[in-house]
Amino acid sequence: MKERVETLMRSVPGRFTSGLHSERVAARLGLWLGVSFTVAFVTGLFSHFMQHPPGWLSWPSRPVGLYRVTQGLHVIGGLATIPLLFAKLWTVYPKLWQWPPFRSLSHAVERALVLVLVGASLFQLTTGLLNISYAYLWPFSFPVAHYWTAYLLYGALVIHVVNEWAKVRRNLWAREEVEPREAVTARRRFLGTVAAASGLTVLFTVGETYAPLSGLALLAPRDPHAGPQGLPVNKSAAAAGVTAAIRDPGYRLTVTGAVRTPLSLAYDDLLRLPQHTVRLPIACVEGWSAEAEWSGIRLRDLAALAGVAPGSVLTVESLERGGGYRSSEVRPPHWNDPLTLLALRIDGAPLAPDHGFPVRLIAPNRPGVLQTKWVSKVVAG
Amino acid sequence: MNVGRWLGYGLGGGLVVAGIAGLVVNAHQTDPLGWALWFGGLIAAHDGVLVPLVLLAGVAVGRLTKPSPVRAALTVAAVLSLVALPMVAGIGRRADNPSLLPLDYGRNLLVVLGLIALVTALTTIALRLRGNRRRE
Repeated sequence: MKERVETLMRSVPGRFTSGLHSERVAARLGLWLGVSFTVAFVTGLFSHFMQHPPGWLSWPSRPVGLYRVTQGLHVIGGLATIPLLFAKLWTVYPKLWQWPPFRSLSHAVERALVLVLVGASLFQLTTGLLNISYAYLWPFSFPVAHYWTAYLLYGALVIHVVNEWAKVRRNLWAREEVEPREAVTARRRFLGTVAAASGLTVLFTVGETYAPLSGLALLAPRDPHAGPQGLPVNKSAAAAGVTAAIRDPGYRLTVTGAVRTPLSLAYDDLLRLPQHTVRLPIACVEGWSAEAEWSGIRLRDLAALAGVAPGSVLTVESLERGGGYRSSEVRPPHWNDPLTLLALRIDGAPLAPDHGFPVRLIAPNRPGVLQTKWVSKVVAG
Repeated sequence: MNVGRWLGYGLGGGLVVAGIAGLVVNAHQTDPLGWALWFGGLIAAHDGVLVPLVLLAGVAVGRLTKPSPVRAALTVAAVLSLVALPMVAGIGRRADNPSLLPLDYGRNLLVVLGLIALVTALTTIALRLRGNRRRE
């Protein structure tokens, strides 16, 4: 009996007759995946440390659209990776059934790390896709789980690349044997199909951040022109529980903390201060971005009025009672930038409640979640 | 064993350890059991369900047609449908925020699949015509 099972198991890999389950196809797809996961890891770390900068780190406020580009790469590039991963795993699937499963201790460790790599890759791409579709079907915090799983993925990837590098070199750069023509055609056709699937995924989604292609964004979770005042919203005033607070006639914007002159300004006082107009994008961690014309007070003018020292860190607080993003820190490069506003208007009209009425922060090169809405307090520290 | 290899193992191993440590230390946010169920569940679903289905489909399609634009089109259509699935299902829609998932994704997916079908039909016709001409 045992022998028959063994014979059966040994025969499984041979039953995959397609010539595409080959080292050469796997090497090519592996190279593409190595590049795309590296881009995702680097842009992901960039986004993480932009949202949670250690004390010594002050991100520059320029180039204005840097975060928009890196996060677009992260999300749209991640979507493009989905077809690549499917193709790679299909190509190497026969190896899952190799017999005996472990030839030695080091082989067992190698396969365990491949399992980690496969699991982490599926986890990152699936949770990423579901997250940008707002389908939070899990019990964990997405940003925290996605962040730490990225280290797991990239670590296992580095080890996998070290183990497989000789094969990649042999197959992609050292051509010795002559291949039959049909094999070459079949491989090109397959890789072309995979590239087409990746390319079309990008074509039908990238318009959510690259406005000239927004007409093609048929499968994107966002339309950069859909929302109040033609601009998408992440958290509505109702969801933030501020609908009553923002209509309170007693509303005041206060500037306190390490200041020479504490300020307390009503909405009409804010309208009387020098107004400036800037064109800036909202760039969300979910990959979409949209540009608008914002008008309001320069944060640095307000800081000067209150006598804030130029090296201070400002904390901008919302009328929201709770939530992870009810306040955000604005470090010197950002609040000294003339483009950074406490905005009162979009395209000349007062902010819609969902865009942060009466006042919201808008700054260049900054994740959307840190563009605090419904601002009522600026604290200098 | 050269130095580069061990540097790679050191770096990769360090990252793996950092990842596991982060997942464990932040257990209140990462919910290790839920995380593990997703991690293992996705491997099981992919290796145990999705790939066998794809292999069966591959055998079926392989019997029906020779390698042709149709095969490529079916592959591309299947992948795009899978990517669009969460949006078509519309699980993330919220009454208070119509700017989330603002499009009719079912219709849009049909448009995309229609475009793929059209391009495939045109390519097939073009290939046939060229084939005929060559035979003449």
